Amino acid sequence: MTTTLASKRHVVADLGQAMDLCYERGWTDGLPVVPPTEAAVQRMLDAAGLAADAQLAFITNRQVAVTAEKVAINAVMAGCLPEYMPVVVAAVEAISDPLWAYHGPATSTGGAGPLVIVNGPIARRLEINCEDNLFGPGWRANATIGRAVRLVMRNVIGTLPGLLDRGTLGHPGKYSYVIAENEAESPWMPLHVQRGFKPEQSTVTVLAAEAPRQWYNQLSSTPEGVLRTVCDDMRHHNSTGGQPQYVLVLAGEHMRTIANGGWSKADIQKYVFENTQNSIAHIKRMERMAGAVMPQDETTLRPLLAQVDDLLVVAAGGRAGAFSSYIPGWGGGRRSSQAVTKVIQDRRA
Amino acid sequence: MAPIEILDPTVEPRQQPLTYVPRPDSLKGKRVGLVENTKFNSDRLLHRIGEVLINEYGAADCKMWRKHNASVPAHAEIIEEAKRSVDVIVAGIGD
Repeated sequence: MTTTLASKRHVVADLGQAMDLCYERGWTDGLPVVPPTEAAVQRMLDAAGLAADAQLAFITNRQVAVTAEKVAINAVMAGCLPEYMPVVVAAVEAISDPLWAYHGPATSTGGAGPLVIVNGPIARRLEINCEDNLFGPGWRANATIGRAVRLVMRNVIGTLPGLLDRGTLGHPGKYSYVIAENEAESPWMPLHVQRGFKPEQSTVTVLAAEAPRQWYNQLSSTPEGVLRTVCDDMRHHNSTGGQPQYVLVLAGEHMRTIANGGWSKADIQKYVFENTQNSIAHIKRMERMAGAVMPQDETTLRPLLAQVDDLLVVAAGGRAGAFSSYIPGWGGGRRSSQAVTKVIQDRRA
Repeated sequence: MAPIEILDPTVEPRQQPLTYVPRPDSLKGKRVGLVENTKFNSDRLLHRIGEVLINEYGAADCKMWRKHNASVPAHAEIIEEAKRSVDVIVAGIGD
């Protein structure tokens, strides 16, 4: 595919100066970046079968069009291999979807980051980690795909920390927050199939998310026993008193215990929905809802989740260790921001 | 070593006209719209501001709208009704 790259050029003496220039111009997330040369950017575009001037997204509140060329430049800077580019593109498409509602989660003091969950064959092909040290360092795909998305947010959309990214605390996932579901070992329907896609399709599901919370249960050998622990944690989370979506990441031991009990993802969702409800009185006493406690508040329950399928269940994490994790979404509920699933397209002819 | 040419990762700003409506010299007799962002106490704060604008600055009256939630722009119905029924708007975000 022949295209003309339209971006402004900067000429420097050597590699070190190129990296310094990127710092001086404010183009990095604080870590060094790979200098984006024309040849590297073109390889990125070719791997995705995209023309440089193809518009991938439009961010309404910023009135910014995101082109393939700018995504490719930032993907090179993030350290992506060219074959990662279609995944980065799908994630950029997801965060520009009206349901994801870019302005809120990108700007809010709530400090969310885009959690990217990859499903389908591409996750295995690109070796996107779904096992040990799931949220930790060590895998190029996980580390650079999310970083590319964040650099696009920064350099193209203008989501700069302290200016249009006003996260009070933020979290480390804002550098990169990419996992895959362990479909090879999971006993359950993959997340993307639950959300209406075919098993052979590859997708990203992107949720505006807080940091992961780890929980532990080494005592129980039943689904109810294991999930009782996380429900206790989640019920007390109730961050802003809203009802955002949550991700429940079940790692090897918990996954096997729950599956051995014969439970499906739907059973898990139903149990968690029913066992994470708080009384209105409790929410008011904990200063998460305004107003005096009324007699009926003691017996009126408010679900943590607006509906059962607002819990996204993902099988991932190491085989050993009685740990799993839950991840709160951002915002007050579905009208604030929702998880969006996009197909990772192969646009090469 | 040969020089290196790198591509700019940012978006060059597009030229686009952006102008503000001139601020009124006075609020006397003006109809004031208040856009409430749903955060706790934001309605009380705006009501108070409305009272001040009427009592101390001579505004004619106040009318309040409520957004769907704090993180989205005012929806189309608010914009359309405000265009028809008020002269100035007070909006903001309070945490």
